[in-house]
Amino acid sequence: FFVVVRILLRNSTFFFEKVEISVLSNSSIAEMASPNPFPAGISKEQAFSMAQTEMEYRVELFNKLAQTCFSKCVDKRYKEAELNMGDNSCIDRCVSKYWQVNGMVGQLLSAGKPPM
Amino acid sequence: MFNDSSAEPAAGSSGSNENVTKIEPIRMPTIEEMRAQEVWNNCAVKSVASGVMGGGLGLMMGLFMGALDNPIMHDTMTGRQQFVYTAKQMGQRSWSSCKTFAVMGLVYSAAECIVEKARAKHDIINTAVAGCVTGGTMSARGGPKAACMGCVGFATFSVLIEKFFDRHT
Repeated sequence: FFVVVRILLRNSTFFFEKVEISVLSNSSIAEMASPNPFPAGISKEQAFSMAQTEMEYRVELFNKLAQTCFSKCVDKRYKEAELNMGDNSCIDRCVSKYWQVNGMVGQLLSAGKPPM
Repeated sequence: MFNDSSAEPAAGSSGSNENVTKIEPIRMPTIEEMRAQEVWNNCAVKSVASGVMGGGLGLMMGLFMGALDNPIMHDTMTGRQQFVYTAKQMGQRSWSSCKTFAVMGLVYSAAECIVEKARAKHDIINTAVAGCVTGGTMSARGGPKAACMGCVGFATFSVLIEKFFDRHT
């Protein structure tokens, strides 16, 4: 379990870099169509609450991603503590698929189209 | 889900007596540790290391076997010449055995690594396929029939060895 977090952390190092960028300029739940991340008129409290909501969303996303890929990829018999190579490649594929779909769904929702 | 167990040791160690072992909190690995683990995730590194280990094993086995059976001729050579001759025989045999075992280890490890990465699953089929590939390539010189027999034999052998090691963990 310990090592799964390790490896999922490896796959999400790029994701955590994106968190800082997306807190400021993500369009999935922030206000629509604002190229300037802090336009005039948004007070500090509003910016903080937006960042907090964004952070909660990201944490939820990470937890769900870890749970899904763990349940799909790791054999439950727990014969050894380390992740096998098969488990590693399975987790890589799972995380990349999840992330890609998440991005697509976010874009569709933010653009205002109904999700299919 | 991941952060619960890091809050546990504080409550556990305050109310426990000395018999209970102290639970260490979960420590996230640093980027250097992750990179060090990633080195062994590479198929080439793994198969080369396996080949080197197989070569070492082959050297030991060849030395041992070479020391066991060689003719000792008292009449034709003096003691020192006998020693040199015996040493040469042992060296030749251990070198050829070393090469055989190194190739076997390399091919087996590379095949298992590639198959497991492609399938993204860890079970006994990977070892069977890798054993078949190894046995087939090693006895490919004898023709297709010898290759099939080698494939089946080595696959069975590697599956048995894997099950033997699985039982003990």
